[in-house]
Amino acid sequence: MTGASGLGRVLLPLSVVAALTGCSVAADRSGGPQTLQVVAGEDFWGSIAAQLGGSHVSVTSIVTDPNADPHDYESSSADARAFATADYVVLNGAGYDDWGQKLLDGNPSSSRTVLNVAELLGKRDGDNPHFWYGPGYVRSVADRITADYERLDPTDRSAFESAHAAFVNALMPYQQALATIGGQFAGRRVAATEDIFVYLATALHLDLISPREFMQAVAEGNDPPASAVAAFEQQITSRQAAVLVYNVQTVTAVTTNIQDLARQAGIPVVGISETIQPLGDTFQDWQVRQLTALRAALTSSHADG
Amino acid sequence: MITDVVGGVVTPQVTWNMVRDIAQLFDYDFSRHAFAAGTVVAVVAGAVGYFVVLRALAFGAHALSHIGFAGAAGAGVVGADAVVGMLLFTVGGGSAIGLLGTRVRERDVAIGTVLAFMLGLGALFLQLYRGNVNNTYALLFGDIYGVSALALLITLAAGAATLLALACIYRPLLFASLDDEVAAARGVPVRAVGVMFMVLLALAVSDAVQVVGVLLVFGLLVTPAAISERLTARPARGLLLSSLLALLFTWLGLAVAYYAPGPPSFYITTFSFVTYVAVRVGTGMRERARGALPVLESL
Repeated sequence: MTGASGLGRVLLPLSVVAALTGCSVAADRSGGPQTLQVVAGEDFWGSIAAQLGGSHVSVTSIVTDPNADPHDYESSSADARAFATADYVVLNGAGYDDWGQKLLDGNPSSSRTVLNVAELLGKRDGDNPHFWYGPGYVRSVADRITADYERLDPTDRSAFESAHAAFVNALMPYQQALATIGGQFAGRRVAATEDIFVYLATALHLDLISPREFMQAVAEGNDPPASAVAAFEQQITSRQAAVLVYNVQTVTAVTTNIQDLARQAGIPVVGISETIQPLGDTFQDWQVRQLTALRAALTSSHADG
Repeated sequence: MITDVVGGVVTPQVTWNMVRDIAQLFDYDFSRHAFAAGTVVAVVAGAVGYFVVLRALAFGAHALSHIGFAGAAGAGVVGADAVVGMLLFTVGGGSAIGLLGTRVRERDVAIGTVLAFMLGLGALFLQLYRGNVNNTYALLFGDIYGVSALALLITLAAGAATLLALACIYRPLLFASLDDEVAAARGVPVRAVGVMFMVLLALAVSDAVQVVGVLLVFGLLVTPAAISERLTARPARGLLLSSLLALLFTWLGLAVAYYAPGPPSFYITTFSFVTYVAVRVGTGMRERARGALPVLESL
């Protein structure tokens, strides 16, 4: 529990005390050792940013429901204030967190550095935005965050270097879990209800056979076309996939139906989540736990040959 | 939504010092922009909303934002800018509603019919469009805390243009809204005025929605005017009161949301609703007291 919220439990009461005793309103940055104020749009990037910064950064993760209807969605003043006072902001981009871009526009600042992950990776709006499910992308983002920290706070350069090394080290179990599944099950056909699994399937050398239109429609909160639903159901009932992966945070009537069909066909069903679960866990522990469950499901599966 | 606040960002606290509390509201750009944009939108929505209530168009105002969504999806299919699609559809849909429903009774049905068709088109476009419509769509809906300096200027210009246009059609619109049959008999082009108002409403709503979001616009369009209508029968005074109430609710809502958790729309619509209920109860009691007198006399 070295994540953002563990630290928060200690620091939050202090900040309330500070406010009650009348000190500080807007970012109080006068004197004292420098602490970079970091805001991450989502907790998976926040967890990485917190580990890479150690005690030299203070990370606020703003976790919003990624499937919130933009019709109804409105930011809170606390979120807006976090963006206004941040030295460094990490957003996923590619349309995944437009609300964050709006909050940046609403409070322009020349002393704030913004890392847009989609732009870093050369992705565009409309591309699959689940970059944190791509192990290579995660590494690129981590490298960039450390480089940015060192530029923003050069005096703590060596601390950031060692934090980066420690994080790369902490990713080892994650890399091992990826390599194990990749080595053992390369080429196995798998199904997913949502395109959150696409980058991970590629990294694991699994053959993701579900209709693309289906996965994309579910990820976007739309109804998949009937032809895609029919094709998917056919794949499941004829047991063409070894496992079915679904997003526990975007369950709809259509995806529940697919899950039921999979269970009836004896295909193991594995849930993965959009954001870190349980809340406050580290990125790598969360991913390893999910990969362990996936490996167990692949091992136990009798479907797909 | 879960917010995990750590260390650095200190949530401001309400103190007993009112002056300091109010000054603190304007510490950040996002909050200054929110108050400025909120002020413009409230004044315009209050004024336009007066006619929305007078013409029984609350459902129409609500329908326009959904029609805008269909337009945005359609723009995605042909590769056009989402805003263009939204404007085309709201103006087109608004005109259709104005043409099909001249009388209040017809209007409700006309809005429902046009809305259902537009939503159907939206569902089709969503399936035809292979990109992520939700992403494009999200950009269409503003956030009161995400108003850029440029958006603020555009809101100001659009708000001024809306008020000017409303002033131009004020007399015939008022006449047609109060009594369309007499107005028609006196030579007022009732249907044309109705369509013009719907177009005006469509443009005003589309603009404001992109800056402050749907809920805020819709909330300010109906309730303040409904309260005002209960309090005064005089049109000019009612319109002014409607704008003032919208402004008051917006400022109060933004001030409370700055210190308390929860989105500003919640506080703004809550203040509006509570005031509306209080005014309904108050005027209801007054009417009953007045109505009771003749009964007593007849005894």
